[in-house]
Amino acid sequence: MRGDTKAMFDRRLVTHFDWWFATTILAMALLGILTIYSSNALAISAFRRTLYLRQMTWVGIGVVALVAACLVSYRTLGRFAYVIFGLSLVLLVLVLVIGKAGLGAHRWIRVGGFAFQPSEFAKLGLVLFLARYFDDHRETLREPRTMLVPAALTTLCMLLVLKQPDLGTALLLLFIALSIMLLLGLDWRRLVPFAVGGAALAPLLWMLLKDYQRRRILVFLNPDLDPLGAGYHIAQSKIAVGSGGAFGKGWLAASQSQLNFLPLNHTDFIFAVLAEQWGFLGCLVVLLVYFYLITKGFQIARDCTDLFAAVLAAGVSAMLTIQVLINTAMVLGMMPVVGIPLPLLSYGGSSLLVTMLSLGLLLNIHMRRFMY
Amino acid sequence: MEPLFRPPAQAITPRIRTAVLCVGVGFLVLLLRLWYLQILEGDRYFTLSTNNRVRVRPVEAPRGFILDRNGKILVENRPTFDLYATPEDVTNPKDVAAALAEILGNPPREIEARLAEGRERPYQPLLLRKDLDEPMMVAVEERRLDLPGISLRVRPIRAYPSGGIAANLLGYVSEVNQTQLAREEYQDFRPGENIGQAGVERRYDAFIRGIDGGEQVEVDARGRALRLVSRIEPRSGSNIYLTIDKRIQDAAETAFAGKKGTVVAMNPTTGEILAMVSRPSYDPNLFAQRLSGEDWQRIATDPSHPLQNRAFQAQYPPGSIFKLMVAIAGLESGALTPETKFNCPGQFYLGNVKFDDWKKGGHGTLDLRGAIVNSCNVYFYQAGLRVGIEDIVKTAREFGLGEPPGLGLGDEAKGNLPDPQPRRRGQPGWSAGNTVVASIGQGLVVTSPMQLLAMVSAIATGGTIYRPWVVKKITSLSGEVLDEYEPEPVRQVPVKPETLAFIRQAMLGVVNEGTGTRAKVPGIPIGGKTGTAQVVRKGEGKGQADLKDHGWFVSFAPVDNPQIAVVVLVENGGFGGLVAAPVAKAVYEAAFGARQPFPRAGMGTTEAKEPEIGD
Repeated sequence: MRGDTKAMFDRRLVTHFDWWFATTILAMALLGILTIYSSNALAISAFRRTLYLRQMTWVGIGVVALVAACLVSYRTLGRFAYVIFGLSLVLLVLVLVIGKAGLGAHRWIRVGGFAFQPSEFAKLGLVLFLARYFDDHRETLREPRTMLVPAALTTLCMLLVLKQPDLGTALLLLFIALSIMLLLGLDWRRLVPFAVGGAALAPLLWMLLKDYQRRRILVFLNPDLDPLGAGYHIAQSKIAVGSGGAFGKGWLAASQSQLNFLPLNHTDFIFAVLAEQWGFLGCLVVLLVYFYLITKGFQIARDCTDLFAAVLAAGVSAMLTIQVLINTAMVLGMMPVVGIPLPLLSYGGSSLLVTMLSLGLLLNIHMRRFMY
Repeated sequence: MEPLFRPPAQAITPRIRTAVLCVGVGFLVLLLRLWYLQILEGDRYFTLSTNNRVRVRPVEAPRGFILDRNGKILVENRPTFDLYATPEDVTNPKDVAAALAEILGNPPREIEARLAEGRERPYQPLLLRKDLDEPMMVAVEERRLDLPGISLRVRPIRAYPSGGIAANLLGYVSEVNQTQLAREEYQDFRPGENIGQAGVERRYDAFIRGIDGGEQVEVDARGRALRLVSRIEPRSGSNIYLTIDKRIQDAAETAFAGKKGTVVAMNPTTGEILAMVSRPSYDPNLFAQRLSGEDWQRIATDPSHPLQNRAFQAQYPPGSIFKLMVAIAGLESGALTPETKFNCPGQFYLGNVKFDDWKKGGHGTLDLRGAIVNSCNVYFYQAGLRVGIEDIVKTAREFGLGEPPGLGLGDEAKGNLPDPQPRRRGQPGWSAGNTVVASIGQGLVVTSPMQLLAMVSAIATGGTIYRPWVVKKITSLSGEVLDEYEPEPVRQVPVKPETLAFIRQAMLGVVNEGTGTRAKVPGIPIGGKTGTAQVVRKGEGKGQADLKDHGWFVSFAPVDNPQIAVVVLVENGGFGGLVAAPVAKAVYEAAFGARQPFPRAGMGTTEAKEPEIGD
């Protein structure tokens, strides 16, 4: 039967490919392009007006990445999980050393004409690492000492990212790791001493934060504190979102977000542009789509037969969830401003690529669920 | 990792359901918030986004003052009022233009055109006119309701209560230009923002400029401010105390009136610059307001280079001043002693080539002191040959010539010292004739006034060279000292104390009985040296004003305990002893408080004859 299996597997893979899932992903990416276009349509700078074209290129690359992520069995990928994670760490160190300073942070590495963000790839790297590690130690999951190495390496990852400085992604890494550990059965009560310790250390952590980060937190608590900086951002964002009303102002009519009132309107605050144009209805639809993607991801995790795949799927889903929740909460003024992009919709090659790869891995696992 | 059949990954299954539940709750919370913002508060936000607008306006920080060492203000700020239009809020441009035309005096069509320029950025305030005078301001205020979208804004600009003194040293402030904005180091600057562009204003801009504040204002459709949401006060820049003494600076400026060139006074024991004059100069007030394109072109392309600080950015042949280097080199190597005598019949022959002295008929036989006091060329032609060009250049280098002095205020002239090479194929090589010419500071020898000042300061202090500096301390607005600077000894010149003592005494003789008597101030022993540098070779261009010789005078006082060193360079001024020395005298009088009237023509006799050619 061996000779036939390859052909058989190929066909079965294709039948088991979740077309709805894939189409939804593509639709969201296209929505992203459209929203970016509309957000910058009235921009003064010609460069900004063509940003949607760059996003299109990224989406194109992303689709290829998605397909590529499905081709090879995820098991093969798992064999290299440690290597990939190591590579992410190396890149994180590299970006601190030679990173291109944009907006006062060392977040990007330039290769040829492209700039990519190692911190984005580190997210997926971390998930892969944790999945592989817990699978290797599946016998000793209940023992607390199994958590030591993951905790240590996660902290290392976080610190490297924090140094850039990128507080948002660092927190994201923390939450992803915590989610995975909790899902694996980590007793939440064990975390209480850490929470207490963290609260006690809060003043020290406060000292370590940079000025603008502190300002963001303070402004969140009292928006009138910094009306020109972060407070301005939040105020304008709420106005944009709220003014969308029930059905939105319509395509290209988002005056608040289009007319320079909302900085970063095509990256972190893209949801506000969406909300202003399509109103409550539009937001509802988009949130439902995200909910669908996430739930599907967790479903895949539940139906997995091997631990690596399960943790991988759950980790990816957690990653998506946290990003969507944090970004949207920030745009709606429920959270201090942190630099976390909205998956698939925000402008940004690295973010889009990593999201596509992650979702591709979900498809990968789902396709092969009968194989293992 | 081996693939094998395993039961479902039970480790993870039970909690997945909880996870999905949590996610659901999270999304629900988001939806509730959206409901609140968009449905419940939607109308209010809609109003805010269309009818009401929130504007952010930066409030420019006042620059710090620049003061002299005793706190006398050299540069300060005054308020000025600018007229702005926010195009989006100007609902009826034609009427507004007509009203403004009456007030400003420009034709209405011109104003309309300007308003139309702002249409690309309807929310960006557009500058209509800078520095409104009081009647205009009153008129605008009175007709405010007829002028929707028009507003006045106050901002600080530079004012110069002492007139334009020390303009080249202080520098000026103007808007960041396009070329600068394209560069990385100016990435934090907005177009229209001011920045120090020269001199102290530029070098210390980071301290002086302060931190801008801002206002967040809610305005209605007519541009009227409804509510000041918040305001952050700007933080004034720090004040800079210079080492300059205004009293001495004023005296130098007055004494140098009508001349071109530079005067610099320095404390030789610390390196502090007490006065710095560079002419021709410019009126810094021109730059404080927006300079028209033509004005800028005129100043920038003026062939007399008014923007250049001649004290350290221009270089000239030192002329007879350089004889001091020959003398010191000779005394150090032993090639010369105080008793060395040469005869000066008025000219000198090197082979068949004749080199003249400036004094027809010559000085007769002189020893070294006499040669310095009378600035005898022929003596130094011979002395230079005896000492040798290598030793001369070596000494000159030790005294800092050929290197920029390190003032830190921008590009500094390096000057030039000869690099004597032996004769080679294709190259003529260094000849004795070159040495002869170099010995009187012509030919390939070029120095900046600052370099000569440093050189003579080293002679005054017994060989210690200090870095010249202009900023004494930097204080906050409340007077708290943020930074205070100290003298920085750069080098100790390896010269015997007896050598320098001899030179100092000889220089005292220059002023008392020699070529520099016009610098003499009763009661103050001044040591000096005159110099007259040829611009063109002898005989050429005689009588043309811009080709006349440059006049030098370097000096220090009091000789026994030097406190001040002064260098004066009068471009195309003629003889150093005649035109440059009196300027130094005025500086010393101001510095030491002597009350002598400025020497009138015909007063007093001098031992030295007026030099006819170069001295």
